[in-house]
Amino acid sequence: MTVEPRWASGVCAGLHSAGSRHVVYVPDNPLSHVLRILRERFPDVATTLATREEEAFGIAAGLYLGGVRPTVMLQSSGLGNSLNALTSLLIPYKIPTLIVISMRGDAGEWNDAQVPMGRAVRPICDAMGLPHVTVDSPEATDDTVRLVGQTAFSTRQPGVCLLPRRITVPLQGKA
Amino acid sequence: MNRLDATRLLVAAIGDEPIVASLGHPAYDLFAAGDRPANFYTWGSMGLASSIGLGLALARPELRVFVVDGDGSLLMNLGSLATIGWTRPANLVLIVWDNQVYGTTGGQDTATAHGADLEAAARAMGATATVTVTTGEAFAAAIARSRVEPGPWVIVAKVAESAPAVKPPLDCMFIKQRFMAAIGRPEEATRGGRA
Repeated sequence: MTVEPRWASGVCAGLHSAGSRHVVYVPDNPLSHVLRILRERFPDVATTLATREEEAFGIAAGLYLGGVRPTVMLQSSGLGNSLNALTSLLIPYKIPTLIVISMRGDAGEWNDAQVPMGRAVRPICDAMGLPHVTVDSPEATDDTVRLVGQTAFSTRQPGVCLLPRRITVPLQGKA
Repeated sequence: MNRLDATRLLVAAIGDEPIVASLGHPAYDLFAAGDRPANFYTWGSMGLASSIGLGLALARPELRVFVVDGDGSLLMNLGSLATIGWTRPANLVLIVWDNQVYGTTGGQDTATAHGADLEAAARAMGATATVTVTTGEAFAAAIARSRVEPGPWVIVAKVAESAPAVKPPLDCMFIKQRFMAAIGRPEEATRGGRA
């Protein structure tokens, strides 16, 4: 039986409790746990793969217009690919989306090329006025994702949940 | 056929089905052809009209979702064709106004002026119903089929520029809330509820 990391089942339970029923994503190694658990245990949550993060936010906006609460999952490197969608679509139209970002470039990183964007993620969110919360521990993931989602959908603005590598890849040390 | 004439044909042919419009001239012409609550005008996010339409089509399979995109805009998000080809929503109709220029930004050539074929790209990525039209009659016929035959449809309409003289409403929240109400799912926060 495959191991079900606590943080990954927490992401699934959290987004589900926040009422999200469609996850649009660009893949990432740690996020593959989330996708597997969604497939196995959350059959009412649809998933759609986007070719690029900006596209994922466009699809999420369309889902919301249709009455579905969307989640977008991406790796932090993809935040750079998302900025025009966030600043000229989701933010001005107040289209709420739960954004779950798997961090690269933070503590535990081995790849130099991931570090600049990893370091820039929080300042970029701040500059756009996007609220972001970092998950503290595997055990806190469920509540953190749920609360960020609830706040996003209730106040109708995108909200970001950051998953640090110390939580998503504590054993392997690489991803 | 210019883009405004073609947009008028579209609006006249469909009922109250939603239309998502790419920013700039496609949105301006949609407004000129008829301001409808079920028009979603984008004011930014160039390239994402087809993605917004895809998300809406996936969320609401009972609706036939129309998108008016531009050749330059679709070229900015070609991956969208792959996602449409994979997910294959039968209720999505993507119309690409192909005037072979970036009309909103000053008329610079797009790649379709130099051989790029967006219908072939859509077909290669798995869109099941595709057509390229050059006349109003052929466009009207394609729209009529796309309303009843399963898609995803990609209709590439070769059009001339139409120099829009009017602009749609600027307020993004107004556009969104009016649109959501028009397609039968008013935004939750606009409805009130239990204390």
